[in-house]
Amino acid sequence: MLRYICLRLLLLVPVMLGVSLLVFFLLHLGSTDPALDYLRLSHIPPTDAAIAEVRQTLGLDQPLYAQYLTWLGKAVQLDFGISYLTGRPVLDDLLYYLPATLQLGGLALVCTLVLSVPLGLLAARWQGRWPDHAVRAVTFLGVSMPNFWLAFLLIALFSLWLGWLPPLGRGSAGQLVMPVLAIALMSMSINARLLRASLLEASGQRHVTYARARGLGERQVWRDHILRNAWLPLVTATGMHVGELIGGALVIETIFAWPGVGRFAVSAVLNRDFPVMQCFTLLLTALLMLCNLLVDVCYAWLDPRSRLQGVSA
Amino acid sequence: MKQQPGKRKLARWGVLLLAVSLCAQAGDDTDPGPTLSYSWPVNAGPLDPRGYSPNQMYAQAMVYEPLVRYSASGTLEPWLATAWQVSQDGKTYTFTLRDGVRFADGTPFDAAAAKANLDAVLANPQRHRWMELVSTLDHVEAADRLTLRLVLKHPYYPTLMELAQVRPLRFASPQAKPGQAVGTGPWMRVESRLGEFDRFARNPNYWGAQPAYSQVLVKVIPDPNSRALALQVGQLQLIQGAAGEITAGTFVRLRDQGFATALSAPLATRTLAMNTGRGPTRELAVRQAINHGLDKQAIIDKILYGLEPRADTLFARNMPYADLGLKPYVYDPAVAVKQLEAAGWTLAPGAVVRSKAGEPLSIELVFLGTSALQKSLAEVFQGELAKLGIHIALRAVEDGALVRRQRDGDFGMIFADTWGAPYDPHSFVSSMRYAGHADYMAQRGLAIKDELDRRIAQVLASTNEQQRAEQYRFILATLHEQAVYLPISYLTAISVRRASVANVQFGSTLFDVPFEAMTPTQEH
Repeated sequence: MLRYICLRLLLLVPVMLGVSLLVFFLLHLGSTDPALDYLRLSHIPPTDAAIAEVRQTLGLDQPLYAQYLTWLGKAVQLDFGISYLTGRPVLDDLLYYLPATLQLGGLALVCTLVLSVPLGLLAARWQGRWPDHAVRAVTFLGVSMPNFWLAFLLIALFSLWLGWLPPLGRGSAGQLVMPVLAIALMSMSINARLLRASLLEASGQRHVTYARARGLGERQVWRDHILRNAWLPLVTATGMHVGELIGGALVIETIFAWPGVGRFAVSAVLNRDFPVMQCFTLLLTALLMLCNLLVDVCYAWLDPRSRLQGVSA
Repeated sequence: MKQQPGKRKLARWGVLLLAVSLCAQAGDDTDPGPTLSYSWPVNAGPLDPRGYSPNQMYAQAMVYEPLVRYSASGTLEPWLATAWQVSQDGKTYTFTLRDGVRFADGTPFDAAAAKANLDAVLANPQRHRWMELVSTLDHVEAADRLTLRLVLKHPYYPTLMELAQVRPLRFASPQAKPGQAVGTGPWMRVESRLGEFDRFARNPNYWGAQPAYSQVLVKVIPDPNSRALALQVGQLQLIQGAAGEITAGTFVRLRDQGFATALSAPLATRTLAMNTGRGPTRELAVRQAINHGLDKQAIIDKILYGLEPRADTLFARNMPYADLGLKPYVYDPAVAVKQLEAAGWTLAPGAVVRSKAGEPLSIELVFLGTSALQKSLAEVFQGELAKLGIHIALRAVEDGALVRRQRDGDFGMIFADTWGAPYDPHSFVSSMRYAGHADYMAQRGLAIKDELDRRIAQVLASTNEQQRAEQYRFILATLHEQAVYLPISYLTAISVRRASVANVQFGSTLFDVPFEAMTPTQEH
């Protein structure tokens, strides 16, 4: 297992290199010029001389391959350059904003798991009856509704009408509720539907029929024979939700003025802050790959069969 | 079945994460006195008086002050300099500095401190050469403690106007350490949290009247909708600015909900430049017909909710040298059609687009695709001008590409707002001489272009007020008669406030907000 984990971690290196190359050239393929954005933000008229001056300052006057190699040379030393927008080291900025995003994403993940499991169970246990219909209706809405729309609806309800929660910023527990809900609802709905389907599939298996034939109580059948077999798809889905949650944070952090990486990245995209976009993409790639690895390890931990397959392979 | 220890541990960690997250929220509940809460899309930046992005101009204007200040009426008033004299040849400006002014750190503001700041700008001419005064300034002398002398290479009348700008010619304490923002202004920044807020407190050494608010808390809120919500629930007390802080629709909604609102005097002009060098707009009749053919007031009422005054000339009358009484192009489609017919642009039977010698009357209108407002305006222009037999081909581009098209002259019509006070009219007119500007590219087809450029150079070097006014009259009247521009409306700053704030005023430029004049009310 340790060897497998080490191999997967080593795989990060070529993947990150490929992603950095792809992102770098994709960013520079467009017709946009960060020098013009810099001048626009600085309220400086974009004369030829001003553009040339900024291009030189930002290192954009070099050939593309030279720019990439310079960037790569520094990146391996964890120097991802200076943000065009804030004038600060990119990595410093991203690491500054990361804890807020991890807090939001972590809580959204916990919320996803805590809410989706009972809902999925409820729907499967009373399939075709009103709890099932209710859960399906809620999860249908959750899957269909864009998170930014939900965010504004939540603000309208809890901040404007009821006055219970502050709509913006970070600093109190109340400020976490709406962004966490807005981010988590979709993942929670997907998980609940997945768990329902998985439970129903497991409940039709022959070993469940056999368990009932053995005279086991319904609660024990569900707990030991259905639920245990229905967990695994949920683990895979949860790994995938990490990406969704961070993607959701991009929009949600902007709406709730949450000082996280997502909002920082959106501002970088809007202002062509290439070094930040580059570093953010790499950070996200690494995070997703590590999550996938974690899911695989969890899988092996939860399902002895996959461990055996791993050994035989 | 017993829960396995590992899973139990996992569950415990989850609960712990939740609990820690909820408890670890740091609050800052100390009451520092009356605090005005405002918002801005980004942090104020390092607040270097000579720095550009990410330094935010509203914040630089709070902390640093100019020698002379630009007033809303377009005139200049004494500020850190109480008086000034211009030599006969227009090359030497002598300022008498205000006595008793101290920087926030207690350092006296005197001629030596002022010279040190201006010398720092001159030491980095490449960075600041976009400002004509920097390339015109030869050297600075500190004649005595309170006398500062600026010696120019050649006469340049907008010297005072450019000294009034927010950057780079304002003054920081020579004793300030790198990274410290210490000016003479009414505010000093006392705290900054990235992505969250900047906190400004009264400068105890301020030479003028102390602001009524003891603090201004500027929260970082990038989204205009969120900003409006924050005002509604009381997280903000004031929304003010001219940078699209909220949409016109939101402004009207908040006004209807009972929030106190206000609009500033014109600060810049929302306009389109028409290319005189290529396509059908190279003909005066077409440009004039377009000016006559659009019902600007109706467009403003529909799209801008009637919030901006209609623009009939390139610059609003409150801009210096711009109150010329030029005859507006009134909305009259019949006149427009007549002009087109007379110029030979006729409508063939069954055709919907006019043509002349086989050339269709089709004009490419370039706009910023990400701007909902420009898109709406462009679409209305297309619909309205189609009624006259003019085909408008809409071209949505990104902002970088928009600037590139402006620079390359790759447009029939293009959105090109004026730069606003205090750049208008002198800096804007000055730029018309240089290839690489939308205005130069738009005007290059005019037979009188060389004469215009010569007059612009003359007006900038003019030392005689009357001659200067005459030169401006010639330049602005010519551009108006030649219908190079399609002015739409005058950009204004908006202000929406809660009842807890009083004495809300507008700054005289696009970039400053006079927090020091605002006062808290009883409700506060």
